[in-house]
Amino acid sequence: MNEAEATAAGGGAISTCWSCRGPVAGDSIFCATCGAVQPPADVDHFARLDLTPTFDVDADSLDRGYFDAQRRLHPDRFATRTPRERAFSQLQAVSLNEAYETLKDPLRRADYLVTLKGGEVAPEGCSLVNEQELLHEVMERREELAEADSVAAVEALEAAASDDFGRCIAALSTAFACDDLPAAARLTTRMRYLGKYIEECRSRRTRLGRHT
Amino acid sequence: MAYSTKVVDHYENPRNVGALDKSDVAVGTGLVGAPACGDVMKLQIKVSADGIIEDAKFKTFGCGSAIASSSLVTEWVKGKSIDEAATIRNTEIAEHLALPPVKIHCSVLAEDAIKAAVNDYRAKHAVGKAKAAE
Repeated sequence: MNEAEATAAGGGAISTCWSCRGPVAGDSIFCATCGAVQPPADVDHFARLDLTPTFDVDADSLDRGYFDAQRRLHPDRFATRTPRERAFSQLQAVSLNEAYETLKDPLRRADYLVTLKGGEVAPEGCSLVNEQELLHEVMERREELAEADSVAAVEALEAAASDDFGRCIAALSTAFACDDLPAAARLTTRMRYLGKYIEECRSRRTRLGRHT
Repeated sequence: MAYSTKVVDHYENPRNVGALDKSDVAVGTGLVGAPACGDVMKLQIKVSADGIIEDAKFKTFGCGSAIASSSLVTEWVKGKSIDEAATIRNTEIAEHLALPPVKIHCSVLAEDAIKAAVNDYRAKHAVGKAKAAE
Protein backbone atom coordinates (compact mmCIF):
# COMPACT_ATOMS: atom_id res chain seq x y z
CA MET A 1 0.00 0.00 0.00
CA ASN A 2 1.43 3.37 -0.88
CA GLU A 3 1.18 6.33 1.44
CA ALA A 4 -1.78 8.00 -0.29
CA GLU A 5 -3.85 4.82 -0.04
CA ALA A 6 -2.87 4.31 3.57
CA THR A 7 -4.09 7.80 4.40
CA ALA A 8 -7.40 7.18 2.68
CA ALA A 9 -7.87 3.86 4.48
CA GLY A 10 -6.86 5.06 7.91
CA GLY A 11 -8.46 8.46 7.57
CA GLY A 12 -5.74 9.89 9.79
CA ALA A 13 -2.11 9.88 10.76
CA ILE A 14 0.47 7.53 9.31
CA SER A 15 2.93 5.85 11.61
CA THR A 16 5.77 3.43 11.03
CA CYS A 17 5.35 -0.29 11.60
CA TRP A 18 7.70 -1.34 14.42
CA SER A 19 8.31 -4.66 12.67
CA CYS A 20 8.78 -3.99 8.93
CA ARG A 21 9.38 -0.22 9.16
CA GLY A 22 6.80 0.34 6.45
CA PRO A 23 4.02 2.93 6.68
CA VAL A 24 0.90 1.92 8.59
CA ALA A 25 -2.36 3.81 9.08
CA GLY A 26 -2.42 5.30 12.57
CA ASP A 27 -5.58 3.54 13.71
CA SER A 28 -5.04 0.06 12.26
CA ILE A 29 -4.51 -2.88 14.59
CA PHE A 30 -2.30 -4.80 12.15
CA CYS A 31 0.32 -3.71 9.62
CA ALA A 32 -1.14 -4.17 6.15
CA THR A 33 2.30 -5.10 4.79
CA CYS A 34 3.81 -7.57 7.29
CA GLY A 35 0.73 -8.37 9.38
CA ALA A 36 2.42 -7.51 12.70
CA VAL A 37 0.13 -6.35 15.49
CA GLN A 38 0.64 -2.65 16.27
CA PRO A 39 0.53 -0.87 19.63
CA PRO A 40 -2.92 0.68 20.26
CA ALA A 41 -3.30 4.02 18.49
CA ASP A 42 -4.18 7.14 20.42
CA VAL A 43 -7.66 7.47 18.91
CA ASP A 44 -11.18 7.82 20.30
CA HIS A 45 -13.42 4.80 20.96
CA PHE A 46 -15.42 5.35 17.76
CA ALA A 47 -12.34 5.44 15.53
CA ARG A 48 -10.95 2.35 17.29
CA LEU A 49 -14.02 0.39 16.21
CA ASP A 50 -14.15 2.09 12.81
CA LEU A 51 -17.47 3.82 13.56
CA THR A 52 -18.79 7.30 12.82
CA PRO A 53 -18.88 9.33 16.05
CA THR A 54 -22.63 9.51 16.54
CA PHE A 55 -25.06 8.57 19.31
CA ASP A 56 -27.08 6.43 16.90
CA VAL A 57 -24.56 3.63 16.74
CA ASP A 58 -25.69 0.61 14.78
CA ALA A 59 -25.58 -2.21 17.35
CA ASP A 60 -24.83 -4.85 14.69
CA SER A 61 -21.85 -2.96 13.23
CA LEU A 62 -20.55 -2.36 16.73
CA ASP A 63 -20.76 -6.06 17.64
CA ARG A 64 -19.35 -7.18 14.31
CA GLY A 65 -16.36 -4.80 14.47
CA TYR A 66 -15.60 -5.74 18.03
CA PHE A 67 -15.93 -9.51 17.81
CA ASP A 68 -14.04 -9.61 14.51
CA ALA A 69 -11.11 -7.69 15.99
CA GLN A 70 -11.11 -9.74 19.21
CA ARG A 71 -11.02 -12.96 17.20
CA ARG A 72 -7.92 -11.73 15.37
CA LEU A 73 -6.36 -10.75 18.69
CA HIS A 74 -7.10 -14.05 20.45
CA PRO A 75 -4.16 -15.04 22.71
CA ASP A 76 -3.90 -18.46 20.97
CA ARG A 77 -2.77 -16.69 17.80
CA PHE A 78 0.11 -15.07 19.67
CA ALA A 79 1.25 -18.05 21.73
CA THR A 80 4.37 -18.57 19.61
CA ARG A 81 5.07 -14.89 18.88
CA THR A 82 7.64 -12.64 20.51
CA PRO A 83 6.90 -11.15 23.95
CA ARG A 84 6.63 -7.75 22.28
CA GLU A 85 3.87 -8.90 19.94
CA ARG A 86 2.06 -10.68 22.77
CA ALA A 87 2.20 -7.48 24.82
CA PHE A 88 0.87 -5.37 21.92
CA SER A 89 -1.96 -7.83 21.25
CA GLN A 90 -2.98 -7.69 24.91
CA LEU A 91 -2.90 -3.88 24.92
CA GLN A 92 -5.03 -3.85 21.78
CA ALA A 93 -7.53 -6.24 23.35
CA VAL A 94 -7.79 -4.06 26.47
CA SER A 95 -8.33 -0.89 24.40
CA LEU A 96 -10.98 -2.63 22.31
CA ASN A 97 -12.82 -3.87 25.40
CA GLU A 98 -12.88 -0.38 26.83
CA ALA A 99 -14.15 1.10 23.56
CA TYR A 100 -16.82 -1.58 23.16
CA GLU A 101 -18.09 -1.37 26.73
CA THR A 102 -18.28 2.42 26.55
CA LEU A 103 -20.13 2.51 23.25
CA LYS A 104 -22.43 -0.45 23.88
CA ASP A 105 -24.18 1.17 26.87
CA PRO A 106 -26.38 4.16 25.84
CA LEU A 107 -25.69 6.14 29.00
CA ARG A 108 -21.92 5.64 28.88
CA ARG A 109 -21.94 6.33 25.14
CA ALA A 110 -23.83 9.59 25.69
CA ASP A 111 -21.44 10.71 28.47
CA TYR A 112 -18.48 9.86 26.28
CA LEU A 113 -19.89 11.70 23.29
CA VAL A 114 -20.66 14.81 25.37
CA THR A 115 -17.03 14.83 26.57
CA LEU A 116 -15.71 14.14 23.08
CA LYS A 117 -17.64 17.11 21.69
CA GLY A 118 -16.23 19.36 24.40
CA GLY A 119 -19.29 19.44 26.65
CA GLU A 120 -19.33 18.96 30.39
CA VAL A 121 -20.45 15.85 32.21
CA ALA A 122 -21.26 16.34 35.89
CA PRO A 123 -18.36 14.84 37.84
CA GLU A 124 -18.97 11.75 39.95
CA GLY A 125 -20.35 12.53 43.39
CA CYS A 126 -21.16 16.15 42.68
CA SER A 127 -24.42 17.36 44.08
CA LEU A 128 -27.32 18.80 42.25
CA VAL A 129 -29.28 21.79 43.47
CA ASN A 130 -30.40 23.64 40.37
CA GLU A 131 -32.58 20.93 38.85
CA GLN A 132 -35.54 21.24 41.20
CA GLU A 133 -38.04 19.71 38.81
CA LEU A 134 -35.99 16.55 38.43
CA LEU A 135 -35.33 16.33 42.17
CA HIS A 136 -39.05 16.67 42.91
CA GLU A 137 -39.78 13.92 40.45
CA VAL A 138 -37.14 11.64 42.00
CA MET A 139 -38.43 12.34 45.53
CA GLU A 140 -41.98 11.53 44.45
CA ARG A 141 -40.96 8.31 42.74
CA ARG A 142 -38.93 7.18 45.74
CA GLU A 143 -41.86 7.90 48.06
CA GLU A 144 -44.20 5.92 45.81
CA LEU A 145 -41.77 3.03 45.83
CA ALA A 146 -41.42 3.13 49.62
CA GLU A 147 -45.22 2.91 49.89
CA ALA A 148 -45.68 0.18 47.27
CA ASP A 149 -46.50 -2.95 49.25
CA SER A 150 -47.04 -5.60 46.60
CA VAL A 151 -44.86 -7.12 43.90
CA ALA A 152 -47.40 -6.00 41.27
CA ALA A 153 -47.32 -2.39 42.49
CA VAL A 154 -43.51 -2.32 42.36
CA GLU A 155 -43.55 -3.91 38.89
CA ALA A 156 -45.85 -1.14 37.63
CA LEU A 157 -43.48 1.57 38.96
CA GLU A 158 -40.50 -0.24 37.50
CA ALA A 159 -42.17 -0.55 34.08
CA ALA A 160 -43.01 3.17 34.05
CA ALA A 161 -39.39 4.04 34.90
CA SER A 162 -38.07 1.70 32.18
CA ASP A 163 -40.38 3.39 29.64
CA ASP A 164 -39.04 6.79 30.70
CA PHE A 165 -35.49 5.49 30.36
CA GLY A 166 -36.31 4.44 26.79
CA ARG A 167 -37.79 7.84 26.02
CA CYS A 168 -34.57 9.47 27.30
CA ILE A 169 -32.56 7.38 24.82
CA ALA A 170 -34.79 8.62 21.97
CA ALA A 171 -34.48 12.20 23.22
CA LEU A 172 -30.68 11.85 23.39
CA SER A 173 -30.62 10.93 19.73
CA THR A 174 -32.41 14.20 18.91
CA ALA A 175 -30.23 16.25 21.29
CA PHE A 176 -27.03 14.96 19.67
CA ALA A 177 -28.45 15.44 16.18
CA CYS A 178 -28.97 19.14 17.08
CA ASP A 179 -25.59 19.29 18.87
CA ASP A 180 -27.44 20.40 22.01
CA LEU A 181 -24.89 19.22 24.59
CA PRO A 182 -26.52 20.83 27.66
CA ALA A 183 -29.77 19.01 26.81
CA ALA A 184 -27.83 15.76 26.38
CA ALA A 185 -26.14 16.25 29.76
CA ARG A 186 -29.52 16.90 31.44
CA LEU A 187 -30.88 13.71 29.91
CA THR A 188 -27.94 11.63 31.14
CA THR A 189 -28.44 12.99 34.67
CA ARG A 190 -32.08 11.92 34.49
CA MET A 191 -31.06 8.50 33.17
CA ARG A 192 -28.62 8.02 36.05
CA TYR A 193 -31.49 8.63 38.47
CA LEU A 194 -33.83 6.36 36.54
CA GLY A 195 -31.19 3.62 36.38
CA LYS A 196 -30.65 3.73 40.15
CA TYR A 197 -34.40 3.83 40.71
CA ILE A 198 -34.92 0.73 38.57
CA GLU A 199 -32.26 -1.04 40.67
CA GLU A 200 -34.12 0.03 43.82
CA CYS A 201 -37.37 -1.32 42.35
CA ARG A 202 -35.70 -4.67 41.69
CA SER A 203 -34.37 -5.04 45.20
CA ARG A 204 -37.71 -4.00 46.72
CA ARG A 205 -39.49 -6.48 44.47
CA THR A 206 -37.13 -9.25 45.62
CA ARG A 207 -37.70 -8.38 49.28
CA LEU A 208 -41.49 -8.32 48.85
CA GLY A 209 -41.44 -11.58 46.90
CA ARG A 210 -39.58 -13.32 49.69
CA HIS A 211 -42.17 -12.39 52.30
CA THR A 212 -45.25 -13.50 50.40
CA MET B 1 -17.03 -1.22 54.07
CA ALA B 2 -17.87 -0.86 57.75
CA TYR B 3 -19.88 2.14 58.87
CA SER B 4 -18.85 3.92 62.06
CA THR B 5 -21.07 3.37 65.12
CA LYS B 6 -22.33 6.96 64.82
CA VAL B 7 -23.46 6.38 61.23
CA VAL B 8 -25.17 3.13 62.21
CA ASP B 9 -26.89 4.88 65.12
CA HIS B 10 -28.29 7.65 62.89
CA TYR B 11 -29.19 5.14 60.20
CA GLU B 12 -31.06 2.83 62.58
CA ASN B 13 -32.63 5.62 64.66
CA PRO B 14 -32.83 8.58 62.30
CA ARG B 15 -33.75 11.84 64.08
CA ASN B 16 -36.42 14.18 62.79
CA VAL B 17 -37.66 12.21 59.81
CA GLY B 18 -40.70 13.79 58.23
CA ALA B 19 -41.94 16.90 56.54
CA LEU B 20 -42.98 20.44 57.39
CA ASP B 21 -45.56 22.47 55.49
CA LYS B 22 -43.69 23.69 52.43
CA SER B 23 -46.09 26.60 51.84
CA ASP B 24 -45.67 28.00 55.39
CA VAL B 25 -43.65 31.27 55.19
CA ALA B 26 -41.77 30.22 58.35
CA VAL B 27 -40.53 27.05 56.61
CA GLY B 28 -37.46 26.85 54.39
CA THR B 29 -37.03 23.77 52.15
CA GLY B 30 -33.81 22.50 50.62
CA LEU B 31 -33.98 19.76 48.00
CA VAL B 32 -30.68 18.41 46.66
CA GLY B 33 -29.42 15.24 45.05
CA ALA B 34 -26.40 13.27 43.89
CA PRO B 35 -27.10 11.84 40.43
CA ALA B 36 -24.18 9.40 40.49
CA CYS B 37 -25.59 7.63 43.56
CA GLY B 38 -29.26 8.27 42.81
CA ASP B 39 -29.56 9.99 46.20
CA VAL B 40 -32.15 12.64 46.92
CA MET B 41 -32.31 14.64 50.16
CA LYS B 42 -34.98 17.03 51.45
CA LEU B 43 -34.20 19.13 54.50
CA GLN B 44 -36.68 21.59 56.02
CA ILE B 45 -36.37 24.17 58.78
CA LYS B 46 -39.05 26.07 60.71
CA VAL B 47 -37.78 29.48 61.74
CA SER B 48 -39.14 31.69 64.54
CA ALA B 49 -39.78 35.42 64.06
CA ASP B 50 -36.37 36.23 65.59
CA GLY B 51 -34.51 33.99 63.15
CA ILE B 52 -33.99 30.90 65.36
CA ILE B 53 -34.55 27.42 63.95
CA GLU B 54 -37.31 25.86 66.05
CA ASP B 55 -37.74 22.62 64.17
CA ALA B 56 -36.03 20.66 61.42
CA LYS B 57 -37.12 17.63 59.42
CA PHE B 58 -35.55 15.58 56.68
CA LYS B 59 -36.34 12.87 54.21
CA THR B 60 -33.47 11.17 52.43
CA PHE B 61 -33.41 8.32 49.96
CA GLY B 62 -29.86 7.13 49.70
CA CYS B 63 -27.06 5.26 51.42
CA GLY B 64 -26.50 5.05 55.16
CA SER B 65 -23.99 7.92 55.12
CA ALA B 66 -26.42 10.24 53.33
CA ILE B 67 -29.19 9.41 55.82
CA ALA B 68 -26.82 9.84 58.81
CA SER B 69 -25.47 13.17 57.44
CA SER B 70 -28.93 14.67 57.04
CA SER B 71 -30.16 13.27 60.35
CA LEU B 72 -27.16 14.80 62.14
CA VAL B 73 -27.67 18.20 60.48
CA THR B 74 -31.31 18.39 61.64
CA GLU B 75 -30.09 17.72 65.20
CA TRP B 76 -27.37 20.34 64.96
CA VAL B 77 -29.42 23.19 63.52
CA LYS B 78 -32.24 23.13 66.07
CA GLY B 79 -31.85 26.16 68.35
CA LYS B 80 -29.31 27.78 66.03
CA SER B 81 -29.89 31.01 64.12
CA ILE B 82 -30.23 30.68 60.35
CA ASP B 83 -26.89 32.49 59.96
CA GLU B 84 -25.17 29.93 62.19
CA ALA B 85 -26.87 27.05 60.38
CA ALA B 86 -25.59 28.32 57.05
CA THR B 87 -22.00 28.09 58.30
CA ILE B 88 -22.11 24.31 58.92
CA ARG B 89 -19.35 22.74 56.84
CA ASN B 90 -19.34 19.29 55.36
CA THR B 91 -15.94 18.65 56.98
CA GLU B 92 -17.54 18.95 60.45
CA ILE B 93 -20.24 16.45 59.45
CA ALA B 94 -17.73 14.02 57.92
CA GLU B 95 -15.48 14.27 60.95
CA HIS B 96 -18.27 13.75 63.46
CA LEU B 97 -19.55 10.67 61.61
CA ALA B 98 -16.04 9.43 60.74
CA LEU B 99 -17.02 9.10 57.08
CA PRO B 100 -14.50 7.34 54.84
CA PRO B 101 -13.18 9.33 51.82
CA VAL B 102 -15.61 7.65 49.38
CA LYS B 103 -18.55 8.91 51.45
CA ILE B 104 -17.43 12.52 51.87
CA HIS B 105 -19.82 13.60 49.11
CA CYS B 106 -22.75 12.55 51.34
CA SER B 107 -21.69 15.19 53.87
CA VAL B 108 -21.37 17.71 51.02
CA LEU B 109 -24.95 16.90 50.10
CA ALA B 110 -26.11 17.60 53.67
CA GLU B 111 -24.23 20.93 53.69
CA ASP B 112 -25.85 21.87 50.36
CA ALA B 113 -29.26 20.87 51.74
CA ILE B 114 -29.12 23.09 54.82
CA LYS B 115 -27.78 26.00 52.74
CA ALA B 116 -30.58 25.52 50.22
CA ALA B 117 -33.16 25.44 53.05
CA VAL B 118 -31.78 28.69 54.53
CA ASN B 119 -31.74 30.31 51.08
CA ASP B 120 -35.32 29.22 50.46
CA TYR B 121 -36.41 30.71 53.80
CA ARG B 122 -34.57 33.97 53.05
CA ALA B 123 -36.06 34.16 49.56
CA LYS B 124 -39.56 33.70 50.97
CA HIS B 125 -38.87 36.39 53.52
CA ALA B 126 -37.48 38.85 50.98
CA VAL B 127 -40.68 38.40 48.96
CA GLY B 128 -42.76 38.77 52.16
CA LYS B 129 -40.99 42.00 53.09
CA ALA B 130 -41.36 43.38 49.58
CA LYS B 131 -45.08 42.60 49.67
CA ALA B 132 -45.45 44.16 53.12
CA ALA B 133 -43.69 47.32 51.89
CA GLU B 134 -46.06 47.69 48.96
